[in-house]
Amino acid sequence: MNIRTGDSGPGMITDLTGRLATGEPLSDRERRTLATATDILALGMAADEVRRQRHGSVTTFVRVANVTIEAAGTAPPRAAGEIRLTGEPASRDQLLAAVRTARRAAGDRPVTGCSLPDLETLAAREGVSLSSLLVDLRDAGLELIARAPIDRLSDAFVDVIRAAGLPVARLTLEEDPGERRLDVLQRVARLDNTAGTIKAFAPLPQRVDPAVPTTGYDDVKMVALARLVVENIGVIQVDWGLYGPKLAQVALTFGADDLDNVSPLEPLDLGARRAPLEEIRRNIRAASMEPVERNGRFEVMAR
Amino acid sequence: MTVASLVSKVRSGERLRPAEGLDLYRHASTHLLGRLADEIRARKHPDRVVTYIIDRNVNYTNVCVARCSFCAFYRPVGSAEGYVLGFEDIFRKIDETRALGGEQLLLQGGHNPDLPLEWYEDLFRSVKARFPAFRLHALSPPEVIHLSRLSRLPVPSVIDRLIEAGLDSIPGGGAEILVDRVRKLLNCYSKATTDEWLEVMRYAHRAGLRTTATMMYGSIERPEDRIEHLMRLRALQDETGGFTAFITWSYQPEHTELGLTEGTGVEYLRTLAIARIMLDNFQNLQASWVTQGGKVGQLSLSFGANDMGSVMIEENVVRAAGASYCMDEIEIVRNIENAGFRPKRRNMHYEILGDPVFRERAVPRILTLAVARQEQDQPVPAELAHYQARSRRAKTQRND
Repeated sequence: MNIRTGDSGPGMITDLTGRLATGEPLSDRERRTLATATDILALGMAADEVRRQRHGSVTTFVRVANVTIEAAGTAPPRAAGEIRLTGEPASRDQLLAAVRTARRAAGDRPVTGCSLPDLETLAAREGVSLSSLLVDLRDAGLELIARAPIDRLSDAFVDVIRAAGLPVARLTLEEDPGERRLDVLQRVARLDNTAGTIKAFAPLPQRVDPAVPTTGYDDVKMVALARLVVENIGVIQVDWGLYGPKLAQVALTFGADDLDNVSPLEPLDLGARRAPLEEIRRNIRAASMEPVERNGRFEVMAR
Repeated sequence: MTVASLVSKVRSGERLRPAEGLDLYRHASTHLLGRLADEIRARKHPDRVVTYIIDRNVNYTNVCVARCSFCAFYRPVGSAEGYVLGFEDIFRKIDETRALGGEQLLLQGGHNPDLPLEWYEDLFRSVKARFPAFRLHALSPPEVIHLSRLSRLPVPSVIDRLIEAGLDSIPGGGAEILVDRVRKLLNCYSKATTDEWLEVMRYAHRAGLRTTATMMYGSIERPEDRIEHLMRLRALQDETGGFTAFITWSYQPEHTELGLTEGTGVEYLRTLAIARIMLDNFQNLQASWVTQGGKVGQLSLSFGANDMGSVMIEENVVRAAGASYCMDEIEIVRNIENAGFRPKRRNMHYEILGDPVFRERAVPRILTLAVARQEQDQPVPAELAHYQARSRRAKTQRND
């Protein structure tokens, strides 16, 4: 089947996306047609429609203090709504100590941290189960695992985090899946998230080959397909720090509803209008959305 | 009129009036604007070809008396950071450009009072003597007006002399917003009023030159000013048909006197789309990846653009204001194909030159754009001593 707009006309893609937007299921073949379409406007329109049905015009964002495990005691900026521990832990004791230290420094703000595969590696190295490590981290004050890259994990991780009572802040993709993007999204859509243990899905890859970066079409198509295919995770997220204001803002019109990793710093030399907070609000409003700040628990902080 | 009725009007091929364009720009969703622009692009370019040019953006001097408040590139007369490129510097840049498959320089610079018309004529003649087939897309309307004032010759005479020396086409720079109220606020009214800018283009078209047209939006103008700008261009295009393409980009605020903030990616795509809708007599619209980055630059192809602009090789003006994106031919072609289009090389007249050069022979990758000059380069080339200076400082230096 030829799916290029110029060859087959935009009607077919519009028809498929229209059916998706109204909740009508598509066949596997029809979904694959969408996934390979170059008519990103039709995809974007449908994704935007589904996003607005779910979230209205609200776009949430979170200001994150990224703190290395080694520097967990550093006082986080006042404006941060999430304290995120970064880096690979050297040992279980070091990590638990870092979580407790960060917990004290964070005040009432949530402490998140680590990548789930790193924790799996650490547990194996220390000869403990992943479940017990997660329980220990939870008891030490970790509120959410910062990220769980779906392409580094088996589906069993959902049961483990649910049993440990330690949710995942964001399901991520480590690498660009390329032509396998629909397979990945359908796998995500099949995860049992009825307990809400996965708070958000960030469909754009965390690691990109600088010699062959993903393109704008790749990115917005991935975001739109994520919105259309992944119904079990309501928050579709883009990393503001990693993807930059221009792509992240455009992604809001292609189905994303949440911006992660906004700087909590308020540098005075830029002036108030160019401070990160005003910059992100301005970008969200310019995309015809309403900016709403949330914290790392996904609780609304201020409108 | 409702958005729906405006959409019908656009789809039936009718021309929108300014107020209608403004309504659509203000009230249509981003995707709808994109869809309309994309439909027009498809009507004008049904073969799904997206073009690009290999040329080099050379700024021969940064010394400028215009002092536009939105510019981070210029240096005042006498500044230690001021420079003028020597003829040999420019020849070297042409050699480098040709090695990459380029056949043109986009040559623009500040309004330097110490570079008389004869300097430009000698430069152009020297380039043509060494590189007869090489094209000079040079001197935006305000530069032509500056030369007219400096030489006390009327604009047509300046253009005629430059054509005689080797000028091939004129870039559409310096248009900013073609509304005099805005130009006064941006301190660019004195370098060229709206009518003066258009008059240079009118004469150039009559003299047989093709030119481009541009719009820098996102500083202090209002949406209706952008629409008025487009209307002024549309009217001149109706009259002469001399514009080959339209290029819009967002004001880049870093290091400028004006400051403020940069327009967002969505604003860029909306502005590009409304330009495609309103400029129904323009065949080609370029994507401004140099200000928007490769990703939004590529997305422009769904919002009305049919051309990825230039490989550029060198860029100084936008970089001075904070943007430093880079795309070489390999990257431009990858983005065009990834979006479902067929890449073709073109010249300034939008004549197809062929397939990508890198598929025919090995060319070096460009991962960062070059700059006008290196630290060790002479800021004032020796040949300037042969030309009459106007500033007191330069007169003294040249007499020494």
